[in-house]
Amino acid sequence: MNGIKTLADLKRKQEEVKSRIDLRNRAENPDSLVQVKVAMATCGIASGAKEVMEYFVEELDKRRIDAVVTQTGCMGYCFAEPTVEITLPGKEPMVFGYVNARKADEIIERYIKEGELVDGIIPRNYNTI
Amino acid sequence: MIDMAMHMMDIVQNSIRGEAKEIGIYFFEDSRHNKLTFRVEDDGRGMDEPTLKKLTDPFFTTRTSRKVGLGIPFLKMTCEQAGGSLSLFSEEGVGTTVEAFYRTDNPDCLPLGDVAGYAALLLKANWELHIRFSYRTEDEHFVVDSDELKEEGIDLRYPEMLTALKEFIQENLNEIYRKRPPESLLC
Repeated sequence: MNGIKTLADLKRKQEEVKSRIDLRNRAENPDSLVQVKVAMATCGIASGAKEVMEYFVEELDKRRIDAVVTQTGCMGYCFAEPTVEITLPGKEPMVFGYVNARKADEIIERYIKEGELVDGIIPRNYNTI
Repeated sequence: MIDMAMHMMDIVQNSIRGEAKEIGIYFFEDSRHNKLTFRVEDDGRGMDEPTLKKLTDPFFTTRTSRKVGLGIPFLKMTCEQAGGSLSLFSEEGVGTTVEAFYRTDNPDCLPLGDVAGYAALLLKANWELHIRFSYRTEDEHFVVDSDELKEEGIDLRYPEMLTALKEFIQENLNEIYRKRPPESLLC
Protein backbone atom coordinates (compact mmCIF):
# COMPACT_ATOMS: atom_id res chain seq x y z
CA MET A 1 0.00 0.00 0.00
CA ASN A 2 1.34 3.36 -0.99
CA GLY A 3 1.18 6.40 1.24
CA ILE A 4 -2.12 8.09 1.99
CA LYS A 5 -1.90 11.58 0.67
CA THR A 6 -5.19 12.53 -0.85
CA LEU A 7 -8.79 12.13 0.15
CA ALA A 8 -9.11 9.55 -2.61
CA ASP A 9 -6.35 7.47 -0.98
CA LEU A 10 -8.17 7.70 2.32
CA LYS A 11 -11.39 6.61 0.65
CA ARG A 12 -9.68 3.66 -0.98
CA LYS A 13 -8.31 2.60 2.38
CA GLN A 14 -11.79 2.87 3.90
CA GLU A 15 -13.26 0.63 1.23
CA GLU A 16 -10.48 -1.87 1.67
CA VAL A 17 -11.01 -1.96 5.44
CA LYS A 18 -14.78 -2.12 5.08
CA SER A 19 -14.66 -5.08 2.73
CA ARG A 20 -12.53 -6.95 5.24
CA ILE A 21 -14.24 -6.10 8.50
CA ASP A 22 -17.85 -5.78 9.40
CA LEU A 23 -18.70 -3.42 12.22
CA ARG A 24 -21.18 -5.90 13.71
CA ASN A 25 -23.91 -3.44 14.59
CA ARG A 26 -21.69 -1.52 16.91
CA ALA A 27 -23.89 1.52 17.19
CA GLU A 28 -26.98 -0.52 17.96
CA ASN A 29 -25.70 -2.33 21.01
CA PRO A 30 -22.64 -0.65 22.47
CA ASP A 31 -23.26 -2.55 25.73
CA SER A 32 -21.90 -5.72 24.21
CA LEU A 33 -18.53 -4.11 23.55
CA VAL A 34 -15.55 -3.48 25.73
CA GLN A 35 -15.42 0.23 26.45
CA VAL A 36 -12.10 1.91 27.01
CA LYS A 37 -12.03 5.52 28.12
CA VAL A 38 -8.70 7.26 28.30
CA ALA A 39 -8.58 10.33 30.55
CA MET A 40 -7.43 13.20 28.38
CA ALA A 41 -7.41 16.38 30.39
CA THR A 42 -4.36 18.55 31.04
CA CYS A 43 -2.92 16.06 33.52
CA GLY A 44 -3.49 13.04 31.29
CA ILE A 45 -2.11 14.67 28.17
CA ALA A 46 1.00 15.82 30.01
CA SER A 47 1.68 12.28 31.23
CA GLY A 48 1.35 10.57 27.87
CA ALA A 49 -2.32 9.65 27.49
CA LYS A 50 -2.06 9.96 23.72
CA GLU A 51 0.41 7.11 23.38
CA VAL A 52 -1.77 4.98 25.64
CA MET A 53 -4.88 5.72 23.62
CA GLU A 54 -3.15 4.97 20.31
CA TYR A 55 -1.85 1.74 21.81
CA PHE A 56 -5.34 0.64 22.88
CA VAL A 57 -6.86 1.46 19.49
CA GLU A 58 -4.18 -0.40 17.56
CA GLU A 59 -3.68 -3.37 19.85
CA LEU A 60 -7.35 -4.13 20.51
CA ASP A 61 -7.84 -4.16 16.77
CA LYS A 62 -4.81 -6.39 16.16
CA ARG A 63 -5.91 -8.79 18.89
CA ARG A 64 -9.43 -8.86 17.45
CA ILE A 65 -11.25 -7.54 20.47
CA ASP A 66 -14.38 -5.56 19.70
CA ALA A 67 -13.99 -2.37 21.64
CA VAL A 68 -14.85 1.28 21.62
CA VAL A 69 -11.95 3.51 22.61
CA THR A 70 -12.82 7.07 23.51
CA GLN A 71 -11.63 9.92 25.67
CA THR A 72 -12.95 11.28 28.89
CA GLY A 73 -12.06 14.22 31.07
CA CYS A 74 -10.06 14.27 34.27
CA MET A 75 -11.42 11.89 36.87
CA GLY A 76 -9.67 13.63 39.73
CA TYR A 77 -6.80 11.15 39.88
CA CYS A 78 -4.20 13.47 38.43
CA PHE A 79 -1.46 11.82 40.51
CA ALA A 80 -2.03 8.49 38.78
CA GLU A 81 -2.22 9.65 35.17
CA PRO A 82 -2.49 8.31 32.56
CA THR A 83 -5.66 6.69 33.83
CA VAL A 84 -7.95 4.43 31.85
CA GLU A 85 -11.51 3.38 32.63
CA ILE A 86 -12.48 -0.01 31.29
CA THR A 87 -16.01 -1.34 31.18
CA LEU A 88 -16.39 -4.99 30.29
CA PRO A 89 -19.85 -5.94 29.04
CA GLY A 90 -22.23 -6.27 31.98
CA LYS A 91 -19.64 -5.23 34.55
CA GLU A 92 -18.89 -2.19 36.64
CA PRO A 93 -16.36 0.24 35.19
CA MET A 94 -12.83 -0.25 36.48
CA VAL A 95 -10.21 2.48 36.62
CA PHE A 96 -6.52 1.73 36.18
CA GLY A 97 -3.78 4.21 37.00
CA TYR A 98 -0.19 4.75 35.83
CA VAL A 99 -0.93 3.16 32.48
CA ASN A 100 1.80 2.99 29.87
CA ALA A 101 2.14 0.69 26.88
CA ARG A 102 3.42 -2.15 29.06
CA LYS A 103 0.60 -1.78 31.58
CA ALA A 104 -1.89 -1.49 28.73
CA ASP A 105 -0.65 -4.79 27.35
CA GLU A 106 -1.15 -6.42 30.74
CA ILE A 107 -4.64 -4.92 31.03
CA ILE A 108 -5.63 -6.25 27.61
CA GLU A 109 -4.20 -9.71 28.16
CA ARG A 110 -5.31 -10.25 31.73
CA TYR A 111 -8.26 -8.00 32.51
CA ILE A 112 -10.01 -7.59 29.17
CA LYS A 113 -9.40 -11.12 27.91
CA GLU A 114 -9.49 -13.10 31.15
CA GLY A 115 -11.35 -10.87 33.59
CA GLU A 116 -8.51 -11.14 36.12
CA LEU A 117 -7.77 -8.11 38.23
CA VAL A 118 -4.33 -6.57 37.77
CA ASP A 119 -2.30 -4.13 39.86
CA GLY A 120 -2.98 -0.44 39.58
CA ILE A 121 -6.74 -0.37 40.13
CA ILE A 122 -8.03 2.85 41.60
CA PRO A 123 -11.00 2.24 43.92
CA ARG A 124 -14.09 3.71 42.40
CA ASN A 125 -15.49 6.29 44.76
CA TYR A 126 -15.85 9.10 42.29
CA ASN A 127 -18.38 10.27 39.75
CA THR A 128 -17.37 11.42 36.30
CA ILE A 129 -18.88 14.73 35.40
CA MET B 1 2.76 20.74 27.86
CA ILE B 2 5.84 20.35 25.75
CA ASP B 3 4.34 21.09 22.37
CA MET B 4 1.43 22.87 20.73
CA ALA B 5 -0.28 19.65 19.72
CA MET B 6 -0.77 18.84 23.41
CA HIS B 7 -2.30 22.25 23.97
CA MET B 8 -4.59 21.64 21.03
CA MET B 9 -5.90 18.41 22.54
CA ASP B 10 -6.27 20.08 25.91
CA ILE B 11 -8.12 23.19 24.78
CA VAL B 12 -10.47 21.18 22.56
CA GLN B 13 -11.38 19.07 25.60
CA ASN B 14 -12.72 22.27 27.17
CA SER B 15 -14.97 22.81 24.16
CA ILE B 16 -16.24 19.24 24.37
CA ARG B 17 -17.01 19.67 28.04
CA GLY B 18 -18.75 22.92 27.16
CA GLU B 19 -21.20 20.88 25.06
CA ALA B 20 -19.96 22.16 21.73
CA LYS B 21 -21.28 20.51 18.59
CA GLU B 22 -19.00 22.34 16.20
CA ILE B 23 -15.35 22.91 16.91
CA GLY B 24 -12.86 24.64 14.67
CA ILE B 25 -9.12 24.25 15.19
CA TYR B 26 -7.01 26.70 13.23
CA PHE B 27 -3.29 27.10 12.84
CA PHE B 28 -2.03 30.05 10.88
CA GLU B 29 1.66 30.18 10.26
CA ASP B 30 3.04 33.45 8.99
CA SER B 31 6.66 32.43 8.58
CA ARG B 32 7.74 35.67 6.90
CA HIS B 33 6.85 37.54 10.06
CA ASN B 34 7.72 34.72 12.45
CA LYS B 35 4.21 34.46 13.80
CA LEU B 36 1.99 31.53 14.53
CA THR B 37 -1.61 31.78 15.62
CA PHE B 38 -3.42 28.85 17.13
CA ARG B 39 -7.15 29.22 17.58
CA VAL B 40 -9.97 27.02 18.81
CA GLU B 41 -13.55 28.13 18.20
CA ASP B 42 -16.62 26.38 19.48
CA ASP B 43 -20.37 26.79 19.67
CA GLY B 44 -20.60 25.51 23.22
CA ARG B 45 -22.23 26.92 26.30
CA GLY B 46 -19.96 29.93 26.50
CA MET B 47 -19.54 31.92 29.69
CA ASP B 48 -20.23 35.30 31.17
CA GLU B 49 -17.74 38.11 31.62
CA PRO B 50 -16.81 37.44 35.29
CA THR B 51 -16.12 33.76 34.53
CA LEU B 52 -14.06 34.67 31.48
CA LYS B 53 -11.91 36.96 33.61
CA LYS B 54 -11.17 34.11 36.02
CA LEU B 55 -10.16 31.72 33.25
CA THR B 56 -6.44 32.36 33.42
CA ASP B 57 -6.43 31.83 37.19
CA PRO B 58 -4.91 28.37 37.81
CA PHE B 59 -7.06 27.99 40.93
CA PHE B 60 -10.26 28.49 39.04
CA THR B 61 -12.17 25.48 37.71
CA THR B 62 -15.79 24.41 37.36
CA ARG B 63 -14.89 20.86 38.30
CA THR B 64 -15.57 19.46 41.70
CA SER B 65 -13.10 16.60 41.41
CA ARG B 66 -10.08 18.84 41.96
CA LYS B 67 -9.25 22.40 42.85
CA VAL B 68 -7.05 23.49 39.98
CA GLY B 69 -7.61 24.15 36.30
CA LEU B 70 -4.36 24.42 34.44
CA GLY B 71 -5.20 24.07 30.76
CA ILE B 72 -5.69 27.75 29.94
CA PRO B 73 -3.03 29.02 32.41
CA PHE B 74 -0.45 26.71 30.80
CA LEU B 75 -1.38 27.92 27.35
CA LYS B 76 -1.06 31.50 28.51
CA MET B 77 2.32 30.71 30.01
CA THR B 78 3.76 29.01 26.94
CA CYS B 79 2.74 31.73 24.52
CA GLU B 80 3.73 34.60 26.78
CA GLN B 81 7.13 33.09 27.58
CA ALA B 82 7.81 33.22 23.85
CA GLY B 83 6.75 36.84 23.50
CA GLY B 84 3.23 36.00 22.38
CA SER B 85 -0.18 36.52 23.91
CA LEU B 86 -3.46 34.83 24.65
CA SER B 87 -6.92 36.16 23.83
CA LEU B 88 -10.21 34.76 25.06
CA PHE B 89 -13.67 35.60 23.77
CA SER B 90 -16.88 34.11 24.95
CA GLU B 91 -20.58 34.73 24.90
CA GLU B 92 -23.12 32.76 26.84
CA GLY B 93 -25.12 30.48 24.61
CA VAL B 94 -23.04 31.35 21.57
CA GLY B 95 -19.61 29.86 22.11
CA THR B 96 -16.02 30.47 23.01
CA THR B 97 -12.84 31.29 21.12
CA VAL B 98 -9.36 30.78 22.48
CA GLU B 99 -6.56 32.33 20.48
CA ALA B 100 -2.90 31.90 21.28
CA PHE B 101 -0.33 33.90 19.43
CA TYR B 102 3.28 32.69 19.30
CA ARG B 103 6.50 34.35 18.17
CA THR B 104 8.25 31.58 16.32
CA ASP B 105 11.61 33.40 16.29
CA ASN B 106 11.73 33.22 20.07
CA PRO B 107 13.89 30.36 21.39
CA ASP B 108 11.23 29.60 24.00
CA CYS B 109 8.54 29.02 21.40
CA LEU B 110 7.10 25.52 21.67
CA PRO B 111 7.57 23.06 18.82
CA LEU B 112 4.42 22.01 16.99
CA GLY B 113 4.70 18.40 18.06
CA ASP B 114 2.58 15.57 16.75
CA VAL B 115 -0.27 17.72 15.45
CA ALA B 116 -1.38 15.03 13.00
CA GLY B 117 -1.55 12.33 15.68
CA TYR B 118 -3.55 14.44 18.09
CA ALA B 119 -5.88 15.76 15.39
CA ALA B 120 -6.62 12.22 14.20
CA LEU B 121 -7.34 11.08 17.76
CA LEU B 122 -9.62 14.05 18.38
CA LEU B 123 -11.64 13.29 15.26
CA LYS B 124 -11.87 9.61 16.11
CA ALA B 125 -12.82 10.03 19.75
CA ASN B 126 -15.45 12.67 18.94
CA TRP B 127 -16.80 11.33 15.69
CA GLU B 128 -20.33 12.49 16.57
CA LEU B 129 -19.20 16.13 16.65
CA HIS B 130 -18.35 18.36 13.73
CA ILE B 131 -14.65 19.10 14.00
CA ARG B 132 -12.72 21.12 11.49
CA PHE B 133 -8.94 21.20 11.54
CA SER B 134 -7.14 23.73 9.41
CA TYR B 135 -3.47 24.52 8.89
CA ARG B 136 -2.74 27.57 6.83
CA THR B 137 0.36 29.41 5.74
CA GLU B 138 0.54 32.43 3.44
CA ASP B 139 0.39 30.20 0.37
CA GLU B 140 -0.88 26.85 1.50
CA HIS B 141 -4.02 25.62 3.14
CA PHE B 142 -4.92 22.19 4.42
CA VAL B 143 -8.28 21.31 5.96
CA VAL B 144 -9.76 18.15 7.44
CA ASP B 145 -13.43 18.42 8.19
CA SER B 146 -15.20 15.56 9.94
CA ASP B 147 -18.46 16.23 8.09
CA GLU B 148 -16.69 16.15 4.74
CA LEU B 149 -14.98 12.90 5.70
CA LYS B 150 -18.34 11.40 6.64
CA GLU B 151 -19.78 12.48 3.28
CA GLU B 152 -16.94 10.68 1.56
CA GLY B 153 -17.89 7.52 3.42
CA ILE B 154 -14.95 7.59 5.81
CA ASP B 155 -15.84 5.93 9.11
CA LEU B 156 -13.38 6.39 11.95
CA ARG B 157 -15.13 3.79 14.07
CA TYR B 158 -12.98 1.32 12.16
CA PRO B 159 -9.81 1.24 14.27
CA GLU B 160 -7.54 0.91 11.25
CA MET B 161 -8.79 4.20 9.87
CA LEU B 162 -7.13 6.08 12.72
CA THR B 163 -3.66 5.25 11.41
CA ALA B 164 -4.77 6.03 7.87
CA LEU B 165 -6.19 9.42 8.86
CA LYS B 166 -3.08 10.26 10.83
CA GLU B 167 -0.94 9.44 7.82
CA PHE B 168 -3.18 11.52 5.58
CA ILE B 169 -2.87 14.56 7.83
CA GLN B 170 0.86 14.05 8.40
CA GLU B 171 1.65 13.75 4.68
CA ASN B 172 -0.23 16.94 3.91
CA LEU B 173 1.35 18.84 6.78
CA ASN B 174 4.82 17.66 5.74
CA GLU B 175 4.13 19.05 2.31
CA ILE B 176 3.38 22.45 3.87
CA TYR B 177 6.33 22.26 6.27
CA ARG B 178 8.70 21.59 3.37
CA LYS B 179 7.81 24.93 1.82
CA ARG B 180 8.84 26.92 4.87
CA PRO B 181 11.61 29.44 4.34
CA PRO B 182 14.95 27.93 5.44
CA GLU B 183 15.41 30.53 8.17
CA SER B 184 12.18 29.54 9.92
CA LEU B 185 12.83 28.16 13.40
CA LEU B 186 9.47 26.48 13.78
CA CYS B 187 9.63 22.73 13.96
